[in-house]
Amino acid sequence: MKLALAFLAVLVSSSALAFKPTRTIEVVVHTGPGGGSDILARAVAGMIEKEKLLPVRMQVVNKTGGGGAVAAAYLAEKAGDENTIGFFTGVWLTGPLTSPEYKVTLRDLTPVARLVLEPALIAVKADAPFKTMADFINAAKQNPGQLKQSGGSPTSRDNVVRQLLQKHTGARWAYISFPGGGERIAALLGGHVNMMVIEPAEAGEHIRAGNMRVLAQVSDSRLPGFPGVPTLKEAGFDIPAVPQVRGVVAPPKIPAENVAYWEDVLLKLTKTASWKKFLADNQFEDGYQNAQDLTKFYDEFTARMREILKEAGLKLVR
Amino acid sequence: MDIAAGLLHGFALALQPLNLLWCFVGVLLGTIVGIMPGLGPPATIAMLLPLTALMNPAGAIIMLAGIYYGAKYGGSTTSILLNVPGESASVVTCLDGYAMARKGRAGPALGIAAIASFIAGTVGVLGLMLVAPPLAKLALAFSSPEYFALMSLGLAMVVLLAGKSMVKALLAMLVGLWIAGIGTDVFTSQSRFTFGHMELLSGIDFVVVAIGIFALGEVLANMEAREEPQVLPVPKGLRNLLPTMQDLRDCRFAFAQGSVLGFLVGVLPGAGSTIASFISYGVEKAFSKRRDQFGTGVIEGVAAPEGANNSETGGALVPLLTLGIPGSGTTAILLAALVLWGFKPGPLFIAENPGMFWGLVASMYIGNVMLLVLNLPLVPLFAQVLRTPVYVLYPLIVGISIVGVYAGSGSLFDLYLLAGFGLLGYLMRKLDYPSAPLILGLVLGGAMERALRQSLMMSEGHLSILVSRPISAVMLALALVVLCIPLFSRFNTWRLRAMEQEES
Repeated sequence: MKLALAFLAVLVSSSALAFKPTRTIEVVVHTGPGGGSDILARAVAGMIEKEKLLPVRMQVVNKTGGGGAVAAAYLAEKAGDENTIGFFTGVWLTGPLTSPEYKVTLRDLTPVARLVLEPALIAVKADAPFKTMADFINAAKQNPGQLKQSGGSPTSRDNVVRQLLQKHTGARWAYISFPGGGERIAALLGGHVNMMVIEPAEAGEHIRAGNMRVLAQVSDSRLPGFPGVPTLKEAGFDIPAVPQVRGVVAPPKIPAENVAYWEDVLLKLTKTASWKKFLADNQFEDGYQNAQDLTKFYDEFTARMREILKEAGLKLVR
Repeated sequence: MDIAAGLLHGFALALQPLNLLWCFVGVLLGTIVGIMPGLGPPATIAMLLPLTALMNPAGAIIMLAGIYYGAKYGGSTTSILLNVPGESASVVTCLDGYAMARKGRAGPALGIAAIASFIAGTVGVLGLMLVAPPLAKLALAFSSPEYFALMSLGLAMVVLLAGKSMVKALLAMLVGLWIAGIGTDVFTSQSRFTFGHMELLSGIDFVVVAIGIFALGEVLANMEAREEPQVLPVPKGLRNLLPTMQDLRDCRFAFAQGSVLGFLVGVLPGAGSTIASFISYGVEKAFSKRRDQFGTGVIEGVAAPEGANNSETGGALVPLLTLGIPGSGTTAILLAALVLWGFKPGPLFIAENPGMFWGLVASMYIGNVMLLVLNLPLVPLFAQVLRTPVYVLYPLIVGISIVGVYAGSGSLFDLYLLAGFGLLGYLMRKLDYPSAPLILGLVLGGAMERALRQSLMMSEGHLSILVSRPISAVMLALALVVLCIPLFSRFNTWRLRAMEQEES
């Protein structure tokens, strides 16, 4: 019996090792056309096609709604479908913490690989009195609650960085949510708020035009594009550099061999010149992790977020 | 580069045969996308993005922009003919456009939509060319208190959209505001009125509500009437299918204010073309001598919003090109496209890429002419749609509505919502509730609530922030004036009646 089982296992694995997608891969993203995940997925599809890493084409499908909830549920419905993958972001982990409506979370899906880390910058308007991160923190301490930061939803990385900084320094400032990235920048440039956490690619041109100044980087090491700007740690604020993460998942009930196949394709992708150029153009960091490490990352990330969001006064549901 | 030299350079680029071809492809695709409900410019541009990587960037941006403003031309077609809004910016066009079609004036309605689009589209490009940099500064002066005031001004328009009963109009508006509140609250990440449905976490798509209430509600109400199936009147002869000189004269003010208002609203990153079209319709009605006839098929009620949503395109390109700040879904994906081609959209974009900017501006003048030439001959053709007998037309409307909603989201849940809102639209017609105030509340509600809460966070809870800032104070005062318009007209009626009595 044991022998038969082992034999069966060998049979299964050898047939699955030969796994190759047979038809066009459906790539599920949770943003509409033009959103962060959508652009990444389309760029990845383009590069994989150019480098001929897959025998079939990739087709991006937008399943918008519920901050990833709809896309995750759609992937769950496709349990066992070998020709479907999805692109996740950190929202897929934090969203379910505050909304009971999420029926499916990242843990119900099959982890495949983490791809990129998006570092961030802390920016102020060019004519602001703050020259360093310490200037801003001191001003916030002197006028508690008077300074303002523009950002996304309270579960976004923008607010997480604020919560961590506030806890570390004891300073307090207000956080104003704007749903659109453009509105956040407009609020800062119009002088309606004092500070924002911004993605390097978004900030670059405003800095070059002399409209914006960067106080610190939210990353572990200095970004190539900003060699003169200290990281938060170098500036004396030893808080974890919370990156925005992006990666790939598959529907539930996908054999390990298929995961290995995808890990391999994506690892090969991260070695290509076009991928390196893509990262450099967008000032992303290579965040490749295989499925096993990604599962560990889920746990660390979720535990940290749960603590931060609780401190931020949000009502957690799980 | 000064404007004349820039424009000359731009036309030299835009008139190159290949770029002319891309411009034509763009506006043609745009018209088609605009006509089809559900399929919008963002999805179309996203699908074409990989192809544009192979193109010359100037040709590519000319084509993508063509899709963007071309869609605004096509959007009115199904609004007027079938009461199915093709794009969110054409919802308000349904009010008078469809009423005109029912009176046998579909041709002039379609024609005036194309003409208004052409005039306003051209004015929008003029604005983009002449005043982009200073206006971009104005856009930055606008923040949450100003947006709240703008939305209040928009919401005050409800008194102009009300039919016989102001109470019913206000009730409908409140329902619209409530629907706008459904979804995840951006400030606390808590869900509201989702009843455990994850599909509701991101709120209800405005287009689903509009198509349900306008198109399905209309079909249901008409089916119940069970009259002899009669074909809508479509006059014969090309002359009767195009606007008359009198129509054009009636629309003079609509052309002007639609162009200017649409452009100004477009410049603001937090507003958008739907709001532009509503405000322009409201302003048109407020200043009209035949205010009471709006909603029964008044031609300027089509010209004003259709103009506004076209000049909005030129306005929306201002913050995108001068600041690198996108104000809408379509401009966000245009921004992504520029990055993909290796450009750095931002404050220095125009100065460093004058060729691209002026080429785009010149192509937009050309594209608007192409669109007029393309759309006017289509008018008699589309007007024939109404010759179809109702037993074909109504299923067609239902089919287009379902396809439109499903194509937009790919979600079956949205189809249930569509059916629900169709029923609501039917009940509202039966009980004589106006539907426009509901749509108005829905369009403005979300942005208005956000703006108010952002303002109060900025001021630490002091409402004074709303009136202590000049732009916001002026707009709130205007909103008050608009709210008083029904009182003025009632007073005027009394006065006239009193004078008549004195004379007799």
